[in-house]
Amino acid sequence: MNLLLILFFSKFIQAEKLQLWHQMLPTNRLILEGAVKDWEKANPEHQVHVIYRETEELRSGFQSAAMGGTGPELIYGPSDQVGPFATMKIIRPMDDLLTDLSEFDPLAVVKYQGSIFSVGDMVGNHLMLIYNKKLLQNPPRNTDELIEIGKKFTKDDNGDGKIDRYGLVWNFTEPYFFVPWVAGFGSWFLNDDFTPNLNSEGVIKAFSFVKSLRDVHKIIPQECDYEIANALFKEGKAAMIVNGDWSWGDYVNAKIDFGVVPIPMVSQTGLWPAPLVGTKGYSVNANVAPEKMGPTVDLLKHLLSTEVQKKFAIEVGILPSRASARQQDNDRMAGSSASMTKGKPMPIVPEVRAVWDSLRPVYQSILGGKMQPQEAGQKAQDEALRQISVMNEVVQPNWQASLLQGIFVLVALFALYKLFKALSGNTLFKPENRFALIMTLPAMAAVFFVIIYPLVFNFVLSFSNFSLRTFRDWQVVGFQNYFSVLSEKVFWVVFGKTIIWTAVNVLSHTVIGVFLAVLINQTLPGKRLMRVLLIIPWAVPQYITALTWRNMFNQEYGSINNMLTSWFHLSPVQWLGDPFNAFAACIITNIWLGFPFMMVVALGGLQSIPNDLYEAADIDGATSWQKFRNITWPMLTAVMYPAMTLGVVWTFNALNVVWLVSNAGEPADSTHILVSYVYKAAFNLYRYGYGAALSVLIFFILLGFGIKFLTANKATESIQ
Amino acid sequence: MKIKWKKVFAFVVLILFSLISIGPIIHVVGVSFRADQSFAVRDVFSGEWNWNNYIQLFTKTDFLLWVKNSTYVSFVVTLTGVVLASMSGYSLSRFRFVGRGALMLSLLVTQMFPATMLLLPFFIVLTKLKLINSFFGLFLIYSSTALPFCIWQMKGFFDTLPREIEEAARVDGCSWFQTWFRIVLPLSTPAMVITALFSFMASWSEYVVAAIVLQNPELYTLPIGLKSFQASLSTQWGFYAAGAVVVSLPVVVLFVTLSRYLVSGLTVGGVKG
Repeated sequence: MNLLLILFFSKFIQAEKLQLWHQMLPTNRLILEGAVKDWEKANPEHQVHVIYRETEELRSGFQSAAMGGTGPELIYGPSDQVGPFATMKIIRPMDDLLTDLSEFDPLAVVKYQGSIFSVGDMVGNHLMLIYNKKLLQNPPRNTDELIEIGKKFTKDDNGDGKIDRYGLVWNFTEPYFFVPWVAGFGSWFLNDDFTPNLNSEGVIKAFSFVKSLRDVHKIIPQECDYEIANALFKEGKAAMIVNGDWSWGDYVNAKIDFGVVPIPMVSQTGLWPAPLVGTKGYSVNANVAPEKMGPTVDLLKHLLSTEVQKKFAIEVGILPSRASARQQDNDRMAGSSASMTKGKPMPIVPEVRAVWDSLRPVYQSILGGKMQPQEAGQKAQDEALRQISVMNEVVQPNWQASLLQGIFVLVALFALYKLFKALSGNTLFKPENRFALIMTLPAMAAVFFVIIYPLVFNFVLSFSNFSLRTFRDWQVVGFQNYFSVLSEKVFWVVFGKTIIWTAVNVLSHTVIGVFLAVLINQTLPGKRLMRVLLIIPWAVPQYITALTWRNMFNQEYGSINNMLTSWFHLSPVQWLGDPFNAFAACIITNIWLGFPFMMVVALGGLQSIPNDLYEAADIDGATSWQKFRNITWPMLTAVMYPAMTLGVVWTFNALNVVWLVSNAGEPADSTHILVSYVYKAAFNLYRYGYGAALSVLIFFILLGFGIKFLTANKATESIQ
Repeated sequence: MKIKWKKVFAFVVLILFSLISIGPIIHVVGVSFRADQSFAVRDVFSGEWNWNNYIQLFTKTDFLLWVKNSTYVSFVVTLTGVVLASMSGYSLSRFRFVGRGALMLSLLVTQMFPATMLLLPFFIVLTKLKLINSFFGLFLIYSSTALPFCIWQMKGFFDTLPREIEEAARVDGCSWFQTWFRIVLPLSTPAMVITALFSFMASWSEYVVAAIVLQNPELYTLPIGLKSFQASLSTQWGFYAAGAVVVSLPVVVLFVTLSRYLVSGLTVGGVKG
């Protein structure tokens, strides 16, 4: 039996190979895969798995993997991930691996605290002004010209009151796409030592400037994320876009004839906006096994070689990091290089993440008209300083840690005692109980390993100081995480929102579900077809439909506003840019996703109501509502209450919808519910202990609710 | 006449809700037929329509491989889920043994912890068991995360079955196992079908866990494959939408064919019928 098990297991275990994780765009991926294939041909004894992950997932995935002691040998990504990884000690210095780097652009050799942690195969990765040559021959050189040209191109061609073409588009709501302007107004968002400088004059003036492009000069769309900006430019519905060199391949594929110039100089100051200039490159995992080090370095050298870099340069037009791989300048390259000289280096210290995270909400509040630039700068600055201090905080264990250890031991002893008592009673060994146990055991074992163990692990984590600086040597410290969660105002605000979110959703699911179930539970033409259609929101995977809803909520192009304006003659609603509306949009999406489940449960419940009850009511002359109130609903509660309990638990923890519809809490982190807040706290600021404490609290809130709701409604038969 | 008007009202309301249900889906289908790779901006139905996204999806990408992997994973998970859930559901429904209450409660409780925070521990467990990068790791996690709901669901259904038949079978000399296997299970088809459907859905469209477990492109399942069309700064929406339509089809077909079981078999939380 054991042998069989081992055989069974070993069938699933793959031989280990080299792994490379990257976040390259589709066009670049092909070249990378080709380069790796070449290397495999030259080194037939090795095999490489090339794995694509989206930038943020690459980051969090690599952190988990490295934490578990594994992960890919090589990881490719933008230079700003180097700081956090090096601080966590999950990538290793490369000074001894690559000796001759003299030919590389200094920007591509990423040093952190004196050691090289990443070597880039390209430099740039910066923003510039890209213009459609078919529409525009002379790109603007300064902001006055930008506004003038922008006005010329922002047009409503067919006179339906909707703008058909914009002068300028870009992902202006995202701070990374905003900060170049700060330099144009005379300061920078970071000090020289990478501490935040968000209340400076330049930041505040740049805030007003971007807002005026939208509200005064009206040359950019009201709402514009990356997808929309890109789509508009590709369809020729925008004359200019601010975007990075990574987008070129996309535009070439879309057959757009485009030119490249630096982001226009700010006319008032005579200063140039400064895009962040960085590199993308390879880092080496700190966990690489000694026997794999040789091939890993060999592969690394191949990927950084002149030959491979040349391929990238020729086929997607990036600027190689090796001087010998650089191609003859064409117009685009010249424009890109000109932009680069005006840029500032991409900061790589982990603290920058806190700066981005503090800038984003206030910036989006300004754009939403909820805050003044002056006040916003100060607020962002304070928040950034606060986030940096919590991020770097390393809590030392105190007396609470020993207390906790004592409690852990006591709990364990108590559990053992209970178990012993249960086993020593002879009831377990009655034949039918033995049967019952054997039947339950496999499922319980699986649930125990996969769920209970992680739960306990998280519980321990919630008392620990696990964070950015203690990634590899965290310890149990005490109750500090719980104190900081409960003492923060934002926790209570988000908690309140979560309650609204859950209540509105579950009530709507139940009301709509029961209503539709009652309606469809009669003979009607097309009943079967309608039942199928009504179940569809449940059947289609959530990650697809949630993204679709996000697009449908777009202010100018979404189908919801289209319907509101053309059918009901209402003015378009700013769904995703306004905190209240964005939250409403999430709720609407979730109601849509959830009502079919309740409908099906209610339909099942309706089958078990005997028809003679209704017949008797008919004789008494009861109205439909009376019948529903006195017969249907009381009989349905037996199914609906447990379903609603599950509904509450699921809705409370529904991360997907908030994450996908409001793009991780936008605008200004105002749509968070507790789970999305946990996710952001844990993975953005690397506060895993804090995140774990928050999850434990969520867990107890739901546990309390579940027990109370089920006992109150006498639905506990199922538990007891 | 009065009754007729009520039916008309019901009919109109149902039509309205049906339209709301499929609206977003039509949007996705529309994008999947479009010639470019963008999502928003243009009216879905304007412009050029063609099959190119579908053709390229099957010929230029590893889509068929992902379909194969996903089918395999979902099949195993569904089978494990139904077998284990009907076993433990039965014993939880019929026997009063020590720790039964605690077990039932702990099953419900597992649903209450935010799943994202479990990812790191999942990863550590799987690494220790050397199950990273294997389908077995996926089987283990998918089956056991789907199990709590499935067990509750099966237990709830068993509760509704009258005990007299089983008692008669016992008197006739059937063992407990025979009673369960020969008498109870055949009566439980609707519940098993629903349990199967849930397990299937849980594994067919799961992304987050698959993304941490599978690190070999040859093992990719459909959701990971689809996600690879979705880069942070450049998404191939046409492929993504076409893939989404193809991914959703089997689930929709399953729902349609099983819809009669859905109504009779879904007994969340156990109701005495």
